[in-house]
Amino acid sequence: MFHTITSRKGAAATAVAAMMAIAPTLGAASPLGSDPIRLVIPFGPGGGSDITARVLSATAPEFCGPRIDVVSMSGAAGLEAVNFVRNAEPNGHTLLVTDYGPIVTSGFVDDVDWSHEDWQPIMNFTEWLPTVYTRPDHEIQTIDDWVEYATENPDTLTFGHASPLGLVHLPLILFESETGLQNIHVPTSGGGETRSLIMGGHMDLGMTLPASIAAEVASGELTALGVFSEERSPVLPDTPTFRESGYDVVLPAWLMIFGTSDVPSDVVEHLQDCFIEALASPTAVAMSDRVNAGIEPLNAEDSNTLYMATVESIGNILRDIGEIE
Amino acid sequence: MLESFIPALALAFSPEVILYVAIGVFMGITLGAIPGLSGDMAIAILLPVVFFLEPAAALGLLTGIYKGGMFGGSISAISFGVPGTPGSAATAIDGYQAKLKGYPNKALMTALYSSVIGDSTSDLVLIFLALPLAIVALTFGPVEFFALYAFSLLLISALTKGKVAKGVAMAALGVLLAMIGRDPMGGTLRLTFGIPELAGGLALIPVLVGIFAVSELIIQLSKAWMERASRIMEDTRQKAESLLGDYDASKDKLTMREFTATLKATGIGTTMGTLIGALPGAGSSLAAFISYGLAQRFSRKGDEFGKGSLEGVAAAEAGNSATSGSTLIPLFAFGIPGSATAALFGAAFILMGMTPGPRLIYDHTEVIYALFLILIYANFINLGLSQFLLPFYSKIAMIKSRILLPIVCVLAILGTFAAGNSVIDVWVLLFAGLLGVVLRMYNFPLAPLILGFIVAPGAERALRQALLIGRGEWTHLLSSPIAIGLYTVAAIMILTFTFVLRDKK
Repeated sequence: MFHTITSRKGAAATAVAAMMAIAPTLGAASPLGSDPIRLVIPFGPGGGSDITARVLSATAPEFCGPRIDVVSMSGAAGLEAVNFVRNAEPNGHTLLVTDYGPIVTSGFVDDVDWSHEDWQPIMNFTEWLPTVYTRPDHEIQTIDDWVEYATENPDTLTFGHASPLGLVHLPLILFESETGLQNIHVPTSGGGETRSLIMGGHMDLGMTLPASIAAEVASGELTALGVFSEERSPVLPDTPTFRESGYDVVLPAWLMIFGTSDVPSDVVEHLQDCFIEALASPTAVAMSDRVNAGIEPLNAEDSNTLYMATVESIGNILRDIGEIE
Repeated sequence: MLESFIPALALAFSPEVILYVAIGVFMGITLGAIPGLSGDMAIAILLPVVFFLEPAAALGLLTGIYKGGMFGGSISAISFGVPGTPGSAATAIDGYQAKLKGYPNKALMTALYSSVIGDSTSDLVLIFLALPLAIVALTFGPVEFFALYAFSLLLISALTKGKVAKGVAMAALGVLLAMIGRDPMGGTLRLTFGIPELAGGLALIPVLVGIFAVSELIIQLSKAWMERASRIMEDTRQKAESLLGDYDASKDKLTMREFTATLKATGIGTTMGTLIGALPGAGSSLAAFISYGLAQRFSRKGDEFGKGSLEGVAAAEAGNSATSGSTLIPLFAFGIPGSATAALFGAAFILMGMTPGPRLIYDHTEVIYALFLILIYANFINLGLSQFLLPFYSKIAMIKSRILLPIVCVLAILGTFAAGNSVIDVWVLLFAGLLGVVLRMYNFPLAPLILGFIVAPGAERALRQALLIGRGEWTHLLSSPIAIGLYTVAAIMILTFTFVLRDKK
């Protein structure tokens, strides 16, 4: 038991030694100050975003220079965190780690004094693929079963989807507007509640992110119908995408690090490089595997493309259902 | 399963794990004793540490903090009248009166013993019933959950002795306060009056600490000022009130007879705490208040409650501690955290690569068995360590209030800020404190208000989910035998309390 811990300490010591060797060059090149970097998350502690951000805060200091703290600010439904980063000095020391809800959706529907262009992505951690699932003894077991049943019996199937207009609700809205199907939308407090309501037979279908049902799908306690993404989920290799079944509905969620758009480009570049380098380190890979975070970083430019595409598609959906003009 | 038991035993009782449990208990007692800071907060801060510890050691540390924190909360509840944690709010009622009468140590010892008894029983229930209960629990859908929430709200309001109408009114006010913020089903803003900071609603910690603690502090401070003013007017040069001066520690020892007299209250608290802890969303403060109310109804010395009754301390403390094992049942049963603490344990499991839910015990049998063992023996470490620490902590309680109150006040504000990194929370804390002062002045019971606030979000969600699934038909709420049963029991209890027990008073 002790030796595992010691070996990790050993690895850290080696890493520190290696860092000290390159420290002079790093120090000269780094546009960052010596103050800690704060990764602000608009959610409570313990969730997927917090856990993923902590992989970075534990591994990146030796590559980036300063210490990295994860700060959780869930006040005002996450907008407190967004405003905190927005009002901080634009020097790359205060960054926002978020999915698209508090930044893309809130930017459209909430009364905020910023626009989507006021933010620039620094790095994308991962893509989360919204997945539709049910229990194995339900008569609907495939995407086609669902479409067929809902066409014959419109507005009868109950569908659990966490918070309204959230990551696992918007894909349902998009799918319905593409196909014309109608289901009863039932908001829940989150993935855990959706899952137990489906397992207990209280609801027909639900949507969640793959990690929260992968174990049950593998053991046959739940059936995953389909994934709203371009490619299949690595943790649900046998579950088809909706595109494979002939419905071109793709709306993955992501987890990105943002700075405000006035953070200088050399700072953004330095952060992007050292974050990606840190996440490729053996410690980070081991941590990511252990918590099933599925970290596959994208650089600032690719992240921005993804961000702008999401802004466009979320905007279209919200206009479509009359949430915004 | 038995073959996993021996390695689990070795794991749980390895010196490293025992050390982490002891460190956790010490941290929990100390942090819990500071108003505003709770074991939950310490668990949240230490979550990243579980990355670097072996699972058993990490769970030992978190368990220790949790149990220590549960008891630590009652130290400040008894010593300063300020509940250190939400669960110890009911302990403050009689515990603080006991301290004012000069026997804080008796109250603290009663709290400790009832806490350990309640906690150990609850852990045993978790160990033996987690799996059977898991099957029953899945039958609870929105219809059943709404019945359950309605049941608990009616019960706590009816338990308010002699002022049922005020109790119901306070529960309603609590529900109203909980509705501030974003509508959970539609996303529309409610009761925010255009203030964007209120979009997320009022956080639990500032409301709770404000209503219970800040209001008490304000009242005590104004009392101190009034006394000072009247002294100056009368120009009496009396010695300033110093409890430390005339406190006789040798007379303040809990006797065996006093201890056995509290056992019935402890039993009530243990039963209610274990049952209520197993319900998702109900939590330790609800359990403590219901236990307190019931113990008062069934006590031979019911009229001593509220005036420093040791039975009152025992019932409240057993009630809140007995939730600690059973609150993990929904987490093990279907991966749903039933309380903030359970949510943090859930996050710890995820950080260690273990998914909470029915498969947890099969996939990680050894670690979970080790956790069960730790849950039990951590109680004894808690008992020993607390007995060692209490003499020191109860002396702190006897420091003059003009020195103590400002310190407690600052700690409450800092603790609230630290919980959410939010300045708005501090404002909510202060406003809740003023509201608490007004309510206390007009003799409104505070417990139903807090309960309404805690239960409302779950109750609203369950009600609206049930109506969505039932296509807007209200009769759907009566479609389940479990729900009908709960409504019937609630009706019988309310009628009993209103008509039968009224005459007794």
